[in-house]
Amino acid sequence: MRYDVVVVGSGPAGSVTARFAAERGAKVLIVERRSEVGVPVLCAEGISKKVDSYNLVEGTKWKAASMAGARIFSPDRTMVRLSAELAGAETGYVLNREFFDKELARGALKAGAKLLVNTLATGLITDGGRIKGVRIKRFGEEFDVEADIVVGADGVESRVGKWAGINTTLKPHDLETCAQYTLSNVDFEEGYSDFYLGKQIAPGGYVWVFPKGKDVANVGIGVLASLSKPGEAKRLLDEFIASHPDLKDGEPLRFLAGAVPVAKPIEATRDNLVLVGDAARQVDPITGGGLMASIEAGKVAGETIGKAVELQRFDKELLSEYEERLRQTLYRKFERNYVVKETMLGFDDKTLNMLADSLKDYNFEELSTLSLIKALVSKHPSLLPKLKPLLKAR
Amino acid sequence: MGKPKAVVNREVCLACGGCVSVCPEDAIMLVAGKAVVDKKGCISCGICVKTCPVAAISFEEVTK
Ligand SMILES: Cc1cc2nc3c(=O)[nH]c(=O)nc-3n(C[C@H](O)[C@H](O)[C@H](O)COP(=O)(O)OP(=O)(O)OC[C@H]3O[C@@H](n4cnc5c(N)ncnc54)[C@H](O)[C@@H]3O)c2cc1C
Ligand code: SF4
Ligand code: SF4
Repeated sequence: MRYDVVVVGSGPAGSVTARFAAERGAKVLIVERRSEVGVPVLCAEGISKKVDSYNLVEGTKWKAASMAGARIFSPDRTMVRLSAELAGAETGYVLNREFFDKELARGALKAGAKLLVNTLATGLITDGGRIKGVRIKRFGEEFDVEADIVVGADGVESRVGKWAGINTTLKPHDLETCAQYTLSNVDFEEGYSDFYLGKQIAPGGYVWVFPKGKDVANVGIGVLASLSKPGEAKRLLDEFIASHPDLKDGEPLRFLAGAVPVAKPIEATRDNLVLVGDAARQVDPITGGGLMASIEAGKVAGETIGKAVELQRFDKELLSEYEERLRQTLYRKFERNYVVKETMLGFDDKTLNMLADSLKDYNFEELSTLSLIKALVSKHPSLLPKLKPLLKAR
Repeated sequence: MGKPKAVVNREVCLACGGCVSVCPEDAIMLVAGKAVVDKKGCISCGICVKTCPVAAISFEEVTK
């Protein structure tokens, strides 16, 4: 088998990369270990309405609910309300990811890419150190797929980068370990994605409640792995649900375990190699949201790969145009939000309560870091030293 | 003999990939929908054990 490009992984990052590369004329193969694209779902399924402007999905099945905004609860349950536009890349719609991922994959196939499910990539094939494809295994048989470019879109557990010599190992300090129920029979304020913060509730992370429709919601937790103990995520989530009046009678339709990188993006290109999505740690370090990032980065990666195939140039110098373009946009935001993540890790529950108290009546229309910090500090001056790092990161 | 190695309880593992992404020795892989530890590579650091959201990994079953 011979292709211009072989993409490992049919998640959002892989499918979007494949689509944009194929649209520019590249011959693309996607290989997916799972037997069904998008299943099982390992996600809270929140995404910004910005996704509409990319025009990548058709129909309505991919969308479960539409959000007016987000509500953030401090440990003493002081609430801060944000409109969807201001709440970031995870608030807007709540998806049905099994359909969403299939729609994205279908878009790639319509553009001419091919897809093999039930197909595990097991290693790179190289020639004198040069990457020239991947080894795959399907239905017990092994094959070589030759390609000029290998794309690692293989998610948080990525191995493609490692095979190429990129250190993709995450420090426990840079990973959220997650558990989530999809609960039926629950009560919530319709149209709001809820976030609960606090050291007791979710050390180094948060609990989320994302409504999927009438009385059904994704209720999950992320705990920073460095602050976790075996089974901690599930244990704390069970505790939270049991103590929450609107959730405690919920009945689970689904349970999942998950892992989210909250790191800085890593090197994402080598000669003949591109990493994208969770594999490149392209996730917002504050929220753990990676769907919009996978789409934005996948588009840029696909366009760059398309250009590489047109020019028949597969060197890092050309491929890293993709990273250069992200450095102006996505990566700038992630670098800044990494500092915010680090700063927030230092906040105790009292500080979080003060923050929420300062913000509960804040007019978020005029949102800028400076005006925000002014508002915070004018009500609780003792917050200033704690917020100093954010002023630098602006 | 030697130190106990990490062992995955296949009935509990939900294939989230968290342990794979933090193992400093690249000693865990997802195979057929479950995490599997390569005992030769494992240095018994315990990072994966702490990370697992459903407590599927332990050191209890010492290698023979
Ligand atoms: C609990 C949880 C909640 C989340 N909530 C949100 C949220 O609300 N909003 C948001 O924006 N983000 C959220 N995220 C993050 C989001 O799910 C990821 O950022 C997103 O899925 C990344 O897409 P991807 O394409 O990079 O990887 P994935 O979607 O993980 O896709 C990787 C694919 O590669 C395949 N694969 C891996 N290895 C191989 C191999 N060797 N051979 C063949 N195939 C392989 C996998 O089977 C998989 O299909 C959440 C994550 C978790 C765990
Ligand atoms: S962290 Fe736990 S649930 Fe996740 S893959 Fe590893 S053993 Fe399985
Ligand atoms: S104990 Fe350490 S070395 Fe062994 S599998 Fe777990 S993370 Fe890897």
